[in-house]
Amino acid sequence: MIRLEHLSKTFKKRVALEDLSLEIRQGEIFGLLGHNGAGKSTTLGMLLGQIYPTSGEAFIRGVSVQKNRQKALDKVGAIFEEPAFHDYLSGWDNLRILTSYSAHLPDEELREAVHFTGLEKRIRDPVWVYSHGMRQRLALAQALLPCPDLILLDEPAEGLDPEGIYEMRKLIVRLNRERGMTVVLSSHLLAEVEQLCDRVAILNQGRLIFEGRWNELTADPSPAHRLEVDDWTKAGVILQKLGISRPTAETISLAPGGDMADVVSALVKGGVRIRAIEPHRRNLEDIYLKAISAAKSA
Amino acid sequence: MSLFFLQMRNELHKLFARKRTYLGFAAFVAVEILLLLLLNLPKPKAGFRKLIEQNGYGFDQYFSGATLGLLMLMWTTFLLGALYLALVAGDVVAKEVEDGTLRMILCRPISRLRVGFLKYAACVLYTFALTFFIGITALVAGLLYCGWGGLFAIAPLEQLLAMHEAWPGLWRYLGALPLLGFGLVSITSLGFLFSCCEMKPAAATILTLSIFFFDSIFRSIPYFESLRGWFMTTHMTLWLRVFEYHIPWWRIAEDVTWLGALNVTFALVGLAILQQRDFKA
Repeated sequence: MIRLEHLSKTFKKRVALEDLSLEIRQGEIFGLLGHNGAGKSTTLGMLLGQIYPTSGEAFIRGVSVQKNRQKALDKVGAIFEEPAFHDYLSGWDNLRILTSYSAHLPDEELREAVHFTGLEKRIRDPVWVYSHGMRQRLALAQALLPCPDLILLDEPAEGLDPEGIYEMRKLIVRLNRERGMTVVLSSHLLAEVEQLCDRVAILNQGRLIFEGRWNELTADPSPAHRLEVDDWTKAGVILQKLGISRPTAETISLAPGGDMADVVSALVKGGVRIRAIEPHRRNLEDIYLKAISAAKSA
Repeated sequence: MSLFFLQMRNELHKLFARKRTYLGFAAFVAVEILLLLLLNLPKPKAGFRKLIEQNGYGFDQYFSGATLGLLMLMWTTFLLGALYLALVAGDVVAKEVEDGTLRMILCRPISRLRVGFLKYAACVLYTFALTFFIGITALVAGLLYCGWGGLFAIAPLEQLLAMHEAWPGLWRYLGALPLLGFGLVSITSLGFLFSCCEMKPAAATILTLSIFFFDSIFRSIPYFESLRGWFMTTHMTLWLRVFEYHIPWWRIAEDVTWLGALNVTFALVGLAILQQRDFKA
């Protein structure tokens, strides 16, 4: 569905993206993960033909965005982090105006998109009274017209409340499952990407540092756990005997193939009282570090 | 309706649905009324009486609604028309870039060239709509205040001093409006050019106005008299030639060609810049 070939972009002297090559398959939800400034929005901008690459080319359905933008974007919808509308016009007018840049659509199709995003009751209100969540829904409604098969979402959950994030996630899954749309989602929120995406690419300072399935990235041969005990001196000796490392004061990291039950049993037998034990959830930073070190060693 | 006309209609809808548009139109009416009152103060009135009677015509016949309408039209377009058109044209692309709405448009399978052309065309139509609005309201206000009569046209820099009977004067007044609109399109085109560049909407407006006023001021300095034909504002006064006793059609055609070439150049340069730019958040 999407093929990026050696895409690079330099803004004045700042390298925003460096030699990015990627393939995104039809029907998948693909995540572009990275901190702010990692190059995610630049990548999406080049996919939409809004940013010209310094070198390289982007293809959608085999059509070059740089050479034949109109044909390449024929069935593409997009949402940005902060969707912008003409605030003095109603949601309906905004929808009508934006879709007219693609095709002359009957009102029925517009109404269907409004219904899908649940905006029926407020669609005639001026956009300046809309909450951030409603603006995102309106952005999604316009992206769904006219019937795209690829949708690009740039930080769609940014600024939404938990309920809004949940609703947006449900809508994205529905688009993928019910309408068979390919979704490319850019985000810096690990949980969002983790819950939605089949495959991910991680960008760091404009470079691709990982591309593959999410479980390849999160699979950890030596899982870490947070431990709370009454006597760390005693516990430390036992853990050392078991060959278990302690990356931080309260975190232990099991050896590959190690079982936490054995650790708990040894600690209890050694007279250590365990107050709490929980798997340590890694954050984006951990995953970055892991991906960066993997890239370096490769 | 073809897609182009649908897009054009929507572009005009965006332009005319703004509150600023109505407030602006109201401001024009307010300035016209103010000018009307000023022109009817004893001192200016006495000046006009002297001028008309020196030329052997009757003051009561020629200090009429059409004469006042023409004076209001001249001053309103110079004082407020240029400012307003520079504001609208300076905003047309730059504001959409600033707000992020242009990125929303450019997600769609439409060329930048077409988006730019739609915006430029909407601005041109707006310019003509504004010109006719000012022209008609000035005439109506003048007629309501002073009544029917001959037309006295005076513009010292253009060496224009002419008297016309009521009906021929009215026809000349109405005929001058499209030419005035055409002249004002130059400000619109310049504003559009700057609006396509990477700058804030206010900067585009200020640059446009600066060029217009500099051009206008330098043109009126006697030192530059030999270069007067090279100033944009010289050609923008083509509409005043309609009031000369023998309309210099050849000169008007020359002005139209000159301004046409200038407008096309401004618009094409603007479109080329729009085509080359990166649009990022």
